[in-house]
Amino acid sequence: MKKLLEISLGVVTSVGGFLEVGSMATAAQAGAAFGFQLIWAVVLGTICIIFLVEMAGRFAAVSHHTIADGIRERFGFTAFLWPLVAILLVNFLVMSAEIGGVAIALELATGIGFQWWALPVAFLAWLLLWKGTFGFIEKGVSILGLVTLCFVVGAVMLKPDWRAVATGAVPTLPAHDAATYWFMAVSILGASISPYLFMFYSSGAIEDQWDESYLGANRAIAGLGMTFGGTISVSVLIVAALVLATNGIDQVDDYHQLPLMLIPIFGFWGFVLFVASLAIACFGAALEVGLQQAYLVAQGFGWTWGENQKPRDNPGFSSVYTLSTFLAAVPIALGLDPLRLTIFSMALTAASLPLSVVPFLFLLNDKRYVGEHRNGVISNAAVIFIIALGFVLAVVTIPLQIFGGT
Amino acid sequence: MDLLRDILDKQVVDREQVKIGKVDGLVAELRPGKPPRIVAIELGAITLARRLGARPGRWTAQLAARLGGKRHGEPHRIAWNKVQDIGVDIQFDIDVRETSIFAWQDWLRDHVIGRIPGA
Repeated sequence: MKKLLEISLGVVTSVGGFLEVGSMATAAQAGAAFGFQLIWAVVLGTICIIFLVEMAGRFAAVSHHTIADGIRERFGFTAFLWPLVAILLVNFLVMSAEIGGVAIALELATGIGFQWWALPVAFLAWLLLWKGTFGFIEKGVSILGLVTLCFVVGAVMLKPDWRAVATGAVPTLPAHDAATYWFMAVSILGASISPYLFMFYSSGAIEDQWDESYLGANRAIAGLGMTFGGTISVSVLIVAALVLATNGIDQVDDYHQLPLMLIPIFGFWGFVLFVASLAIACFGAALEVGLQQAYLVAQGFGWTWGENQKPRDNPGFSSVYTLSTFLAAVPIALGLDPLRLTIFSMALTAASLPLSVVPFLFLLNDKRYVGEHRNGVISNAAVIFIIALGFVLAVVTIPLQIFGGT
Repeated sequence: MDLLRDILDKQVVDREQVKIGKVDGLVAELRPGKPPRIVAIELGAITLARRLGARPGRWTAQLAARLGGKRHGEPHRIAWNKVQDIGVDIQFDIDVRETSIFAWQDWLRDHVIGRIPGA
Protein backbone atom coordinates (compact mmCIF):
# COMPACT_ATOMS: atom_id res chain seq x y z
CA MET A 1 0.00 0.00 0.00
CA LYS A 2 2.78 2.37 0.97
CA LYS A 3 4.64 1.50 -2.21
CA LEU A 4 1.49 2.12 -4.24
CA LEU A 5 1.15 5.57 -2.72
CA GLU A 6 4.80 6.21 -3.42
CA ILE A 7 4.41 5.13 -7.03
CA SER A 8 1.40 7.36 -7.59
CA LEU A 9 3.20 10.30 -6.03
CA GLY A 10 6.21 9.54 -8.20
CA VAL A 11 4.04 9.40 -11.30
CA VAL A 12 2.48 12.77 -10.47
CA THR A 13 5.95 14.17 -9.83
CA SER A 14 7.36 13.04 -13.12
CA VAL A 15 4.35 14.46 -14.96
CA GLY A 16 5.24 17.75 -13.29
CA GLY A 17 8.81 17.43 -14.47
CA PHE A 18 7.88 16.45 -18.01
CA LEU A 19 5.52 19.25 -18.90
CA GLU A 20 7.25 22.60 -19.09
CA VAL A 21 7.47 25.60 -21.37
CA GLY A 22 9.36 23.70 -24.04
CA SER A 23 6.93 20.84 -24.45
CA MET A 24 3.93 23.19 -24.35
CA ALA A 25 5.33 25.68 -26.85
CA THR A 26 6.71 23.14 -29.32
CA ALA A 27 3.53 21.02 -29.21
CA ALA A 28 1.34 24.10 -29.75
CA GLN A 29 3.47 25.29 -32.67
CA ALA A 30 3.49 21.87 -34.27
CA GLY A 31 -0.28 21.45 -33.91
CA ALA A 32 -1.04 24.85 -35.37
CA ALA A 33 1.27 24.43 -38.35
CA PHE A 34 0.95 20.74 -39.22
CA GLY A 35 -2.20 19.44 -37.55
CA PHE A 36 -1.73 15.96 -36.08
CA GLN A 37 1.20 15.16 -38.37
CA LEU A 38 3.94 15.66 -35.75
CA ILE A 39 2.39 13.56 -32.98
CA TRP A 40 5.00 10.90 -33.78
CA ALA A 41 7.76 13.23 -32.54
CA VAL A 42 6.09 13.52 -29.12
CA VAL A 43 5.60 9.74 -29.01
CA LEU A 44 9.20 9.03 -30.01
CA GLY A 45 10.56 11.58 -27.52
CA THR A 46 8.42 10.09 -24.76
CA ILE A 47 9.62 6.54 -25.43
CA CYS A 48 13.25 7.72 -25.37
CA ILE A 49 12.83 9.61 -22.10
CA ILE A 50 11.09 6.63 -20.46
CA PHE A 51 14.21 4.53 -21.08
CA LEU A 52 16.63 7.23 -19.93
CA VAL A 53 14.66 8.05 -16.76
CA GLU A 54 14.33 4.37 -15.85
CA MET A 55 18.10 3.92 -16.26
CA ALA A 56 18.93 7.08 -14.31
CA GLY A 57 16.72 5.90 -11.44
CA ARG A 58 18.10 2.35 -11.52
CA PHE A 59 21.68 3.64 -11.55
CA ALA A 60 21.02 5.83 -8.51
CA ALA A 61 19.02 3.23 -6.58
CA VAL A 62 21.65 0.50 -6.99
CA SER A 63 24.92 2.46 -6.87
CA HIS A 64 23.84 5.37 -4.63
CA HIS A 65 25.55 7.59 -7.16
CA THR A 66 23.92 10.00 -9.56
CA ILE A 67 24.49 10.10 -13.30
CA ALA A 68 26.66 13.22 -12.87
CA ASP A 69 28.79 11.41 -10.25
CA GLY A 70 29.09 8.50 -12.62
CA ILE A 71 30.21 10.58 -15.60
CA ARG A 72 32.95 12.28 -13.59
CA GLU A 73 34.15 9.12 -11.88
CA ARG A 74 34.01 6.82 -14.88
CA PHE A 75 35.37 9.13 -17.58
CA GLY A 76 37.68 11.43 -15.61
CA PHE A 77 37.78 15.16 -15.14
CA THR A 78 38.86 16.26 -18.60
CA ALA A 79 36.13 14.23 -20.32
CA PHE A 80 33.56 15.36 -17.73
CA LEU A 81 34.23 19.03 -18.54
CA TRP A 82 32.46 18.74 -21.91
CA PRO A 83 29.08 17.51 -20.68
CA LEU A 84 29.46 19.77 -17.63
CA VAL A 85 29.85 22.94 -19.69
CA ALA A 86 27.26 21.86 -22.29
CA ILE A 87 24.60 20.95 -19.72
CA LEU A 88 25.24 24.05 -17.60
CA LEU A 89 24.77 26.20 -20.69
CA VAL A 90 21.68 24.37 -21.96
CA ASN A 91 20.17 24.40 -18.45
CA PHE A 92 20.82 28.13 -18.19
CA LEU A 93 18.88 28.75 -21.40
CA VAL A 94 16.10 26.34 -20.45
CA MET A 95 15.74 27.92 -17.01
CA SER A 96 15.64 31.34 -18.56
CA ALA A 97 12.89 30.13 -20.90
CA GLU A 98 10.94 28.69 -17.94
CA ILE A 99 11.18 31.98 -16.05
CA GLY A 100 10.03 33.62 -19.28
CA GLY A 101 7.05 31.26 -19.40
CA VAL A 102 5.97 32.23 -15.87
CA ALA A 103 6.55 35.89 -16.70
CA ILE A 104 4.36 35.63 -19.82
CA ALA A 105 1.60 33.96 -17.78
CA LEU A 106 1.77 36.81 -15.28
CA GLU A 107 1.70 39.34 -18.13
CA LEU A 108 -1.42 37.66 -19.54
CA ALA A 109 -3.00 37.74 -16.08
CA THR A 110 -2.12 41.31 -15.12
CA GLY A 111 -1.26 43.25 -18.26
CA ILE A 112 2.13 44.24 -16.82
CA GLY A 113 4.94 43.53 -19.29
CA PHE A 114 6.73 40.19 -18.91
CA GLN A 115 10.20 41.64 -18.40
CA TRP A 116 9.08 43.21 -15.11
CA TRP A 117 8.15 39.79 -13.77
CA ALA A 118 11.50 38.06 -14.42
CA LEU A 119 13.24 39.12 -11.21
CA PRO A 120 10.23 38.63 -8.88
CA VAL A 121 9.71 35.15 -10.34
CA ALA A 122 13.40 34.32 -9.91
CA PHE A 123 13.26 35.61 -6.35
CA LEU A 124 10.25 33.44 -5.49
CA ALA A 125 11.94 30.40 -7.05
CA TRP A 126 15.10 31.09 -5.10
CA LEU A 127 13.12 31.55 -1.87
CA LEU A 128 11.51 28.13 -2.27
CA LEU A 129 14.89 26.52 -2.97
CA TRP A 130 16.40 28.35 -0.01
CA LYS A 131 13.72 27.48 2.53
CA GLY A 132 12.06 24.37 1.08
CA THR A 133 12.97 20.71 1.38
CA PHE A 134 13.26 18.36 -1.57
CA GLY A 135 9.94 16.67 -0.80
CA PHE A 136 8.15 19.99 -0.44
CA ILE A 137 9.36 21.23 -3.81
CA GLU A 138 8.88 17.91 -5.57
CA LYS A 139 5.37 17.22 -4.28
CA GLY A 140 4.02 20.76 -4.03
CA VAL A 141 4.90 21.65 -7.57
CA SER A 142 3.69 18.41 -9.05
CA ILE A 143 0.31 18.39 -7.30
CA LEU A 144 -0.34 21.95 -8.49
CA GLY A 145 0.89 20.79 -11.91
CA LEU A 146 -2.15 18.54 -12.24
CA VAL A 147 -3.97 21.64 -13.52
CA THR A 148 -2.32 20.91 -16.89
CA LEU A 149 -4.70 17.95 -17.20
CA CYS A 150 -7.18 20.57 -18.48
CA PHE A 151 -5.50 20.10 -21.88
CA VAL A 152 -6.41 16.41 -21.86
CA VAL A 153 -10.01 17.24 -20.92
CA GLY A 154 -10.03 19.89 -23.63
CA ALA A 155 -8.66 17.54 -26.27
CA VAL A 156 -11.31 14.92 -25.47
CA MET A 157 -14.12 17.50 -25.43
CA LEU A 158 -13.12 18.68 -28.90
CA LYS A 159 -13.93 15.17 -30.16
CA PRO A 160 -10.96 14.86 -32.51
CA ASP A 161 -10.97 12.24 -35.24
CA TRP A 162 -9.06 9.61 -33.23
CA ARG A 163 -8.10 7.72 -36.35
CA ALA A 164 -6.37 10.85 -37.64
CA VAL A 165 -4.64 11.22 -34.24
CA ALA A 166 -3.37 7.64 -34.46
CA THR A 167 -2.19 8.22 -38.02
CA GLY A 168 -0.16 11.18 -36.74
CA ALA A 169 1.77 8.82 -34.47
CA VAL A 170 3.40 7.35 -37.58
CA PRO A 171 6.14 9.54 -39.08
CA THR A 172 5.28 10.92 -42.53
CA LEU A 173 6.89 13.38 -44.90
CA PRO A 174 5.49 16.92 -44.86
CA ALA A 175 3.45 18.25 -47.78
CA HIS A 176 4.70 21.82 -47.28
CA ASP A 177 7.46 23.76 -45.44
CA ALA A 178 9.77 20.78 -45.06
CA ALA A 179 12.50 22.70 -43.20
CA THR A 180 10.01 24.07 -40.66
CA TYR A 181 8.52 20.60 -40.22
CA TRP A 182 11.85 19.02 -39.40
CA PHE A 183 12.93 21.90 -37.21
CA MET A 184 9.74 21.46 -35.18
CA ALA A 185 10.34 17.71 -34.96
CA VAL A 186 13.83 18.42 -33.60
CA SER A 187 12.51 20.98 -31.08
CA ILE A 188 9.84 18.55 -29.86
CA LEU A 189 12.46 15.84 -29.38
CA GLY A 190 14.68 18.33 -27.54
CA ALA A 191 11.78 19.34 -25.32
CA SER A 192 10.93 15.72 -24.49
CA ILE A 193 14.42 14.29 -24.05
CA SER A 194 15.73 16.90 -21.60
CA PRO A 195 19.02 16.11 -19.85
CA TYR A 196 17.83 18.04 -16.81
CA LEU A 197 14.93 15.65 -16.48
CA PHE A 198 16.89 12.42 -16.15
CA MET A 199 19.77 13.98 -14.26
CA PHE A 200 17.34 15.56 -11.81
CA TYR A 201 15.56 12.24 -11.46
CA SER A 202 18.75 10.44 -10.46
CA SER A 203 19.53 13.13 -7.87
CA GLY A 204 15.95 12.88 -6.60
CA ALA A 205 16.38 9.13 -6.11
CA ILE A 206 19.34 9.88 -3.82
CA GLU A 207 17.45 12.65 -2.00
CA ASP A 208 14.58 10.23 -1.40
CA GLN A 209 17.09 7.53 -0.29
CA TRP A 210 16.16 4.89 -2.81
CA ASP A 211 17.78 1.48 -2.69
CA GLU A 212 17.37 -1.73 -4.68
CA SER A 213 13.88 -2.31 -3.25
CA TYR A 214 12.73 0.67 -5.35
CA LEU A 215 13.64 -0.86 -8.71
CA GLY A 216 10.05 -1.94 -9.40
CA ALA A 217 8.66 1.42 -8.32
CA ASN A 218 11.28 3.13 -10.46
CA ARG A 219 10.17 1.21 -13.54
CA ALA A 220 6.52 2.03 -12.89
CA ILE A 221 7.20 5.71 -12.23
CA ALA A 222 9.38 6.11 -15.31
CA GLY A 223 6.92 4.31 -17.56
CA LEU A 224 3.65 5.73 -16.28
CA GLY A 225 4.89 9.20 -15.37
CA MET A 226 6.49 9.90 -18.72
CA THR A 227 3.55 8.36 -20.58
CA PHE A 228 1.15 10.70 -18.76
CA GLY A 229 3.48 13.64 -19.49
CA GLY A 230 3.57 12.65 -23.16
CA THR A 231 -0.22 12.34 -23.20
CA ILE A 232 -0.58 15.91 -21.96
CA SER A 233 1.87 17.09 -24.65
CA VAL A 234 -0.11 15.27 -27.32
CA SER A 235 -3.27 16.88 -25.93
CA VAL A 236 -1.72 20.34 -26.24
CA LEU A 237 -0.87 19.47 -29.84
CA ILE A 238 -4.42 18.24 -30.56
CA VAL A 239 -6.02 21.32 -29.01
CA ALA A 240 -3.66 23.59 -30.94
CA ALA A 241 -4.38 21.74 -34.18
CA LEU A 242 -8.15 21.97 -33.77
CA VAL A 243 -8.50 25.44 -32.24
CA LEU A 244 -5.60 27.55 -33.44
CA ALA A 245 -5.60 26.33 -37.02
CA THR A 246 -9.38 26.78 -37.40
CA ASN A 247 -9.03 30.33 -36.08
CA GLY A 248 -6.52 31.13 -38.80
CA ILE A 249 -3.37 30.82 -36.70
CA ASP A 250 -1.06 28.40 -38.46
CA GLN A 251 2.13 29.95 -37.19
CA VAL A 252 2.56 30.50 -33.47
CA ASP A 253 5.18 33.20 -33.16
CA ASP A 254 3.92 34.94 -30.06
CA TYR A 255 2.84 33.60 -26.67
CA HIS A 256 -0.16 35.93 -26.74
CA GLN A 257 -1.78 33.69 -29.37
CA LEU A 258 -1.79 30.70 -27.07
CA PRO A 259 -4.49 31.47 -24.43
CA LEU A 260 -6.98 31.32 -27.29
CA MET A 261 -6.46 27.55 -27.30
CA LEU A 262 -8.75 26.73 -24.38
CA ILE A 263 -11.30 29.57 -24.72
CA PRO A 264 -13.59 27.88 -27.30
CA ILE A 265 -13.77 24.87 -24.97
CA PHE A 266 -14.05 26.38 -21.50
CA GLY A 267 -14.98 30.00 -22.21
CA PHE A 268 -13.41 32.55 -19.84
CA TRP A 269 -12.21 29.74 -17.57
CA GLY A 270 -10.22 28.47 -20.52
CA PHE A 271 -8.14 31.62 -20.30
CA VAL A 272 -7.66 31.16 -16.53
CA LEU A 273 -6.76 27.48 -16.96
CA PHE A 274 -4.24 28.27 -19.67
CA VAL A 275 -2.55 30.98 -17.64
CA ALA A 276 -2.45 28.76 -14.54
CA SER A 277 -1.09 25.79 -16.49
CA LEU A 278 1.63 27.86 -18.12
CA ALA A 279 2.64 29.55 -14.86
CA ILE A 280 2.70 26.40 -12.73
CA ALA A 281 4.34 24.08 -15.27
CA CYS A 282 7.08 26.61 -16.01
CA PHE A 283 7.63 27.57 -12.39
CA GLY A 284 7.99 23.93 -11.39
CA ALA A 285 10.46 23.33 -14.18
CA ALA A 286 12.43 26.46 -13.20
CA LEU A 287 12.80 25.10 -9.65
CA GLU A 288 13.95 21.72 -10.94
CA VAL A 289 16.46 23.15 -13.42
CA GLY A 290 17.83 25.51 -10.77
CA LEU A 291 18.36 22.62 -8.38
CA GLN A 292 19.83 20.52 -11.16
CA GLN A 293 22.52 23.14 -11.82
CA ALA A 294 23.61 22.89 -8.20
CA TYR A 295 23.41 19.08 -8.20
CA LEU A 296 25.54 18.89 -11.34
CA VAL A 297 28.34 21.12 -10.05
CA ALA A 298 28.36 19.68 -6.52
CA GLN A 299 28.33 16.08 -7.75
CA GLY A 300 30.92 16.72 -10.44
CA PHE A 301 33.38 18.13 -7.93
CA GLY A 302 32.44 15.79 -5.10
CA TRP A 303 31.12 18.38 -2.63
CA THR A 304 28.40 17.62 -0.12
CA TRP A 305 24.96 18.41 -1.46
CA GLY A 306 21.32 18.00 -0.57
CA GLU A 307 18.22 20.13 -0.70
CA ASN A 308 17.08 18.77 2.67
CA GLN A 309 19.92 20.44 4.56
CA LYS A 310 20.11 24.08 5.48
CA PRO A 311 21.93 26.37 3.01
CA ARG A 312 24.63 27.11 5.62
CA ASP A 313 25.52 23.41 5.75
CA ASN A 314 26.20 23.30 2.00
CA PRO A 315 27.50 26.77 1.10
CA GLY A 316 28.92 25.69 -2.25
CA PHE A 317 25.75 23.90 -3.31
CA SER A 318 23.41 26.71 -2.28
CA SER A 319 25.62 29.35 -3.93
CA VAL A 320 25.30 27.55 -7.27
CA TYR A 321 21.49 27.50 -7.28
CA THR A 322 21.34 31.08 -6.02
CA LEU A 323 23.61 32.29 -8.82
CA SER A 324 21.93 30.23 -11.54
CA THR A 325 18.43 31.35 -10.56
CA PHE A 326 19.19 35.05 -10.70
CA LEU A 327 21.45 34.82 -13.78
CA ALA A 328 18.68 32.99 -15.65
CA ALA A 329 16.30 35.89 -14.99
CA VAL A 330 18.61 38.39 -16.69
CA PRO A 331 17.82 37.65 -20.38
CA ILE A 332 14.07 37.87 -19.68
CA ALA A 333 14.46 41.03 -17.59
CA LEU A 334 16.32 42.54 -20.56
CA GLY A 335 13.29 41.82 -22.74
CA LEU A 336 14.46 38.79 -24.74
CA ASP A 337 11.44 37.17 -26.38
CA PRO A 338 10.58 34.09 -24.23
CA LEU A 339 9.09 32.10 -27.12
CA ARG A 340 12.14 32.49 -29.34
CA LEU A 341 14.37 31.64 -26.39
CA THR A 342 12.27 28.55 -25.67
CA ILE A 343 12.44 27.21 -29.20
CA PHE A 344 16.14 27.99 -29.46
CA SER A 345 16.96 26.28 -26.17
CA MET A 346 14.93 23.19 -27.09
CA ALA A 347 16.86 22.85 -30.35
CA LEU A 348 20.15 23.34 -28.49
CA THR A 349 19.09 20.67 -25.98
CA ALA A 350 18.61 18.28 -28.87
CA ALA A 351 22.05 19.17 -30.22
CA SER A 352 23.71 18.51 -26.85
CA LEU A 353 22.14 15.06 -26.41
CA PRO A 354 25.13 12.92 -27.44
CA LEU A 355 27.22 14.40 -24.60
CA SER A 356 24.72 13.46 -21.93
CA VAL A 357 23.44 10.18 -23.37
CA VAL A 358 26.65 8.40 -24.46
CA PRO A 359 27.71 7.91 -20.79
CA PHE A 360 24.54 5.87 -20.13
CA LEU A 361 25.85 3.12 -22.38
CA PHE A 362 28.94 2.72 -20.21
CA LEU A 363 27.55 3.49 -16.76
CA LEU A 364 24.55 1.16 -17.01
CA ASN A 365 26.79 -1.70 -18.11
CA ASP A 366 29.44 -1.17 -15.42
CA LYS A 367 29.25 -3.98 -12.88
CA ARG A 368 31.00 -1.95 -10.20
CA TYR A 369 28.09 0.49 -10.17
CA VAL A 370 25.01 -1.51 -11.08
CA GLY A 371 26.15 -5.09 -10.39
CA GLU A 372 23.58 -7.60 -11.55
CA HIS A 373 21.13 -4.83 -12.48
CA ARG A 374 23.03 -4.09 -15.67
CA ASN A 375 21.21 -3.10 -18.83
CA GLY A 376 19.59 -5.91 -20.75
CA VAL A 377 19.49 -6.20 -24.51
CA ILE A 378 16.40 -4.01 -24.88
CA SER A 379 17.73 -1.15 -22.72
CA ASN A 380 21.08 -1.23 -24.49
CA ALA A 381 19.40 -1.25 -27.89
CA ALA A 382 17.34 1.76 -26.72
CA VAL A 383 20.44 3.66 -25.56
CA ILE A 384 22.25 2.97 -28.81
CA PHE A 385 19.19 4.15 -30.72
CA ILE A 386 18.98 7.35 -28.62
CA ILE A 387 22.71 7.99 -29.10
CA ALA A 388 22.31 7.60 -32.87
CA LEU A 389 19.27 9.88 -32.78
CA GLY A 390 21.27 12.34 -30.66
CA PHE A 391 24.08 12.47 -33.23
CA VAL A 392 21.62 13.00 -36.08
CA LEU A 393 19.96 15.80 -34.09
CA ALA A 394 23.32 17.36 -33.24
CA VAL A 395 24.24 17.51 -36.92
CA VAL A 396 20.92 18.73 -38.33
CA THR A 397 19.87 21.21 -35.63
CA ILE A 398 21.99 24.20 -36.65
CA PRO A 399 21.18 24.04 -40.41
CA LEU A 400 17.48 23.54 -39.60
CA GLN A 401 17.59 26.43 -37.14
CA ILE A 402 18.78 28.64 -39.99
CA PHE A 403 16.33 27.43 -42.64
CA GLY A 404 13.33 26.34 -40.61
CA GLY A 405 13.54 28.30 -37.35
CA THR A 406 10.87 30.83 -36.53
CA MET B 1 44.44 -2.53 -8.99
CA ASP B 2 44.27 -0.14 -11.92
CA LEU B 3 45.05 3.26 -10.38
CA LEU B 4 43.54 5.37 -13.13
CA ARG B 5 40.41 3.24 -13.31
CA ASP B 6 39.82 2.50 -9.65
CA ILE B 7 41.22 5.52 -7.79
CA LEU B 8 41.48 8.66 -9.93
CA ASP B 9 38.29 10.78 -10.04
CA LYS B 10 36.47 8.62 -7.47
CA GLN B 11 34.43 10.15 -4.67
CA VAL B 12 36.42 10.82 -1.48
CA VAL B 13 34.65 10.61 1.88
CA ASP B 14 36.04 11.16 5.36
CA ARG B 15 35.54 8.85 8.32
CA GLU B 16 32.13 10.41 8.96
CA GLN B 17 31.11 9.67 5.33
CA VAL B 18 31.18 13.42 4.54
CA LYS B 19 31.75 13.96 0.81
CA ILE B 20 34.92 16.03 0.59
CA GLY B 21 35.72 15.93 -3.11
CA LYS B 22 36.88 13.65 -5.86
CA VAL B 23 40.37 12.20 -6.24
CA ASP B 24 41.61 15.01 -8.49
CA GLY B 25 45.21 13.80 -8.65
CA LEU B 26 47.60 11.07 -7.51
CA VAL B 27 51.06 11.62 -6.02
CA ALA B 28 53.56 8.84 -6.68
CA GLU B 29 57.04 8.37 -5.29
CA LEU B 30 59.70 7.13 -7.69
CA ARG B 31 62.01 4.59 -6.09
CA PRO B 32 65.26 3.47 -7.75
CA GLY B 33 65.07 -0.15 -8.83
CA LYS B 34 61.50 -0.58 -7.56
CA PRO B 35 58.06 0.25 -9.03
CA PRO B 36 56.69 3.69 -8.10
CA ARG B 37 54.46 3.88 -5.05
CA ILE B 38 51.38 6.01 -4.38
CA VAL B 39 52.01 8.24 -1.38
CA ALA B 40 49.06 10.66 -1.46
CA ILE B 41 46.02 11.87 -3.31
CA GLU B 42 45.41 15.49 -4.24
CA LEU B 43 42.17 17.44 -4.22
CA GLY B 44 41.14 20.87 -5.36
CA ALA B 45 41.09 23.41 -8.12
CA ILE B 46 44.88 23.62 -8.56
CA THR B 47 45.19 19.91 -9.26
CA LEU B 48 42.23 20.02 -11.64
CA ALA B 49 43.68 23.01 -13.49
CA ARG B 50 47.02 21.19 -13.85
CA ARG B 51 45.20 18.36 -15.61
CA LEU B 52 44.15 20.86 -18.25
CA GLY B 53 47.73 22.04 -18.77
CA ALA B 54 50.75 23.58 -17.07
CA ARG B 55 49.66 27.15 -17.67
CA PRO B 56 46.11 26.91 -16.23
CA GLY B 57 47.69 25.10 -13.28
CA ARG B 58 50.14 27.93 -12.63
CA TRP B 59 47.43 30.59 -12.96
CA THR B 60 45.08 28.79 -10.60
CA ALA B 61 47.85 28.30 -8.04
CA GLN B 62 48.70 32.01 -8.17
CA LEU B 63 45.04 32.98 -7.89
CA ALA B 64 44.49 30.60 -4.97
CA ALA B 65 47.56 31.94 -3.17
CA ARG B 66 46.39 35.51 -3.67
CA LEU B 67 42.85 34.77 -2.45
CA GLY B 68 43.58 32.39 0.38
CA GLY B 69 47.13 33.10 1.45
CA LYS B 70 50.26 31.07 0.88
CA ARG B 71 48.94 27.84 2.35
CA HIS B 72 46.34 27.67 -0.43
CA GLY B 73 48.94 28.04 -3.20
CA GLU B 74 49.53 24.26 -3.05
CA PRO B 75 46.92 21.53 -3.69
CA HIS B 76 45.37 19.72 -0.72
CA ARG B 77 46.97 16.35 -0.07
CA ILE B 78 45.76 13.34 1.88
CA ALA B 79 48.39 10.72 2.72
CA TRP B 80 47.69 7.36 1.15
CA ASN B 81 48.33 5.53 4.44
CA LYS B 82 45.14 7.12 5.79
CA VAL B 83 43.03 5.16 3.33
CA GLN B 84 40.38 3.06 5.07
CA ASP B 85 38.22 1.59 2.36
CA ILE B 86 38.33 1.43 -1.42
CA GLY B 87 34.99 0.76 -3.03
CA VAL B 88 32.90 2.87 -5.34
CA ASP B 89 33.83 5.64 -2.86
CA ILE B 90 37.23 5.94 -1.26
CA GLN B 91 37.21 6.52 2.47
CA PHE B 92 40.07 8.13 4.38
CA ASP B 93 40.59 8.09 8.12
CA ILE B 94 40.52 11.86 8.46
CA ASP B 95 38.07 14.49 9.63
CA VAL B 96 37.49 17.10 6.94
CA ARG B 97 36.98 19.80 9.62
CA GLU B 98 40.62 19.38 10.67
CA THR B 99 41.85 20.08 7.12
CA SER B 100 41.73 23.22 5.01
CA ILE B 101 39.91 21.43 2.14
CA PHE B 102 36.61 23.14 2.90
CA ALA B 103 38.18 26.52 3.80
CA TRP B 104 36.48 28.14 0.79
CA GLN B 105 33.10 26.69 1.78
CA ASP B 106 33.61 28.03 5.31
CA TRP B 107 34.50 31.43 3.89
CA LEU B 108 31.35 31.37 1.74
CA ARG B 109 29.26 30.43 4.77
CA ASP B 110 30.74 33.12 7.00
CA HIS B 111 30.77 35.94 4.47
CA VAL B 112 27.91 35.30 2.05
CA ILE B 113 25.47 32.43 2.61
CA GLY B 114 25.29 32.76 6.40
CA ARG B 115 24.40 36.45 6.10
CA ILE B 116 21.30 35.84 4.01
CA PRO B 117 18.23 35.48 6.25
CA GLY B 118 16.96 31.93 6.70
CA ALA B 119 20.27 30.22 5.95
